[in-house]
Amino acid sequence: MSERRFAGLTLLPGAGWLVLLFLIPLGITLAISFGVTDDLGNAVYAWRPENYSQVFDPLFVPVLLRSVGYAAATVTLCLLIGYPIAYFIARFGGKYKYLLVALVVLPFLVNYLIRVYAWVAILSDEGLINGILKDMGMTTDGVRFLNTPFAVVGGLVYGYMAFMILPVYAALDRMDSSLIEAGKDLYANGWQTFRHVTWPATFQGVLAGSVLVFLPAVGDFVSAQLLGGPDTYMVGNLIQQQFFEANNYPFGAALTTVLMAFLLIFMVFYLRSAGRASEEARA
Amino acid sequence: MTGRNTDRLWLPDRMSRRDAFKVGGGLALAAGLSACGVGNGSGTVDEAATERAIEPKIDGDLVYFNYAQYVDPALVKQFEKKYGVQVRESYFDSMPAMMAKLGSGNRYDLIFPSAEFADKLVKGNQLLKIPRDKLSAIGDVYPFFDDPWYDPGSEHTVPYSLYLTGLGYRADEIDTMTGSWRDIVNPQADGRSFLLDDFQEVIGMANLVNGYDLNATEADQLSESRDYVVGLKPKLRGFSTDTITNMSSGNAWIQHLWNGDVINIRYRVDDPSSIQFQKNKEGWPVGSDVFAIPTNAQHPGTALKFIDFMLENSAQNSTWTGYPMPTDSATKPYAELTDGEPELQVSVDDLEKGQQFANLEGADREAWDRTWIEIKAS
Repeated sequence: MSERRFAGLTLLPGAGWLVLLFLIPLGITLAISFGVTDDLGNAVYAWRPENYSQVFDPLFVPVLLRSVGYAAATVTLCLLIGYPIAYFIARFGGKYKYLLVALVVLPFLVNYLIRVYAWVAILSDEGLINGILKDMGMTTDGVRFLNTPFAVVGGLVYGYMAFMILPVYAALDRMDSSLIEAGKDLYANGWQTFRHVTWPATFQGVLAGSVLVFLPAVGDFVSAQLLGGPDTYMVGNLIQQQFFEANNYPFGAALTTVLMAFLLIFMVFYLRSAGRASEEARA
Repeated sequence: MTGRNTDRLWLPDRMSRRDAFKVGGGLALAAGLSACGVGNGSGTVDEAATERAIEPKIDGDLVYFNYAQYVDPALVKQFEKKYGVQVRESYFDSMPAMMAKLGSGNRYDLIFPSAEFADKLVKGNQLLKIPRDKLSAIGDVYPFFDDPWYDPGSEHTVPYSLYLTGLGYRADEIDTMTGSWRDIVNPQADGRSFLLDDFQEVIGMANLVNGYDLNATEADQLSESRDYVVGLKPKLRGFSTDTITNMSSGNAWIQHLWNGDVINIRYRVDDPSSIQFQKNKEGWPVGSDVFAIPTNAQHPGTALKFIDFMLENSAQNSTWTGYPMPTDSATKPYAELTDGEPELQVSVDDLEKGQQFANLEGADREAWDRTWIEIKAS
């Protein structure tokens, strides 16, 4: 078998995966987004572009802005918390490095929904944390953590943290640590070394992590559903409602398609930046 | 606080009737979506398909499709033992999810639609006619359901459970309830008020508060109802169907809920008497979930036997689920379970005075969906 032919064969599983689990569902979503529903609520293929004119309704602007705002806050917090964790593991993890990385990933073995439910238990008015606070006499009435925007963003940060830590860790791990020593030899203080050596060397990892956190956070509905209040309605909730409650698959699919197109902008921005970076690295 | 265990780390072991609604089945629904009956035309079948005769004898294992935790599992075991069959249970978490599974050609012997969805299924010729004369316990069912709006002549359905929507509240914290829906934002609850995350219940409640029919669809009535709910939002803690969790965790002091959930909440708190229920003077939604046998059922005989068995044991099932059942034999045990509190029971009088959600279609349904989006998104 020629090498070329072998290379072609190795592509098959990946390509099959993409076609079966990505392209076909995407195609169905697109097709349904132009459809209608019958009396039983089943989606039926048709040509109804009006589904899209419903999407562009000023009513949804605050919902979209809120989702983007929550996702941006999530990225920021994930970076502020995740970067030091990744830094610690990469630089000081020593022989425990892989164990620590495994611990970061471990919660992901449990379904996101179950984990968010656990937060409801922990943060309830009569839950674990409030119980401790009351026992310590720090509050009598209990602190209302739940059903606030903070709780929603907290749920998102918790849910997607590993997506930030892992690429940043990979970038830090790849980085030659003698660069940091070189910086110090040149009389740079800790901050200057970080600013001029470590940060630029890991920036692509940060960018990758930010995109990986931002994209699912914008479309998330679980956190707002379980931890949110009356004013934390996100795009994901709107879409989910069309499928589960309104039984309006075509409109839900149209919303999904437009949201994906919107998110594609961020994706393209990231890919171009990553492409430029790797070209610079080669040059 | 009454002796409530603040260290309790609960997880949702019991669920409200429609609670998993938003929670469980994203994947199930996605599966339904990709496989669903997209493009199969109107979805209706020939009326003749509903006429297939059902003999009341075991004709195989029962393929059963219901909300989780909505039948006493001990009764399912007893049925299996008595007839030497298996009950193969699968669950849905919302009516749309159930319809998606049916529409994609899955075959079930027994389903539990709500009245509005029974109406859709009856009109779409999706349900077999149930020979009532072959159900030995049918005489136990309230005659109120002899000719329900969703199934003329009760030809295709048998009522399973009853529910009535009202307000649950913490009697140990709140002593100024007035018997009105407007109590939802009672200042004593201090922001610990939840409305159901259910478009029918919320819009219907607002319609009742404004003095309109539960199912009002006029544009100006709906915008008034929308404004009422939007006006409540600053004083609400949220929209949530997870009523049992909300109240047993102390997050809700007032919760818009179905009466049966009150029993389930009481099962979970240290001081059951602190959880009380209020029927509201502006009116109350009542409803019924029903047994039905789809036209493509493979074992309709076993399904018929199961319906009969559940009717015979409705007293035990009612006590376990916390929901009243529309049978004479379940009425007294449920009254005892609820300590004779008339508020929690659903009498024939309550059924007659209450209003049932209609199966809104076409432009009417679109108007409600639009109102709901405006409420949530505003």
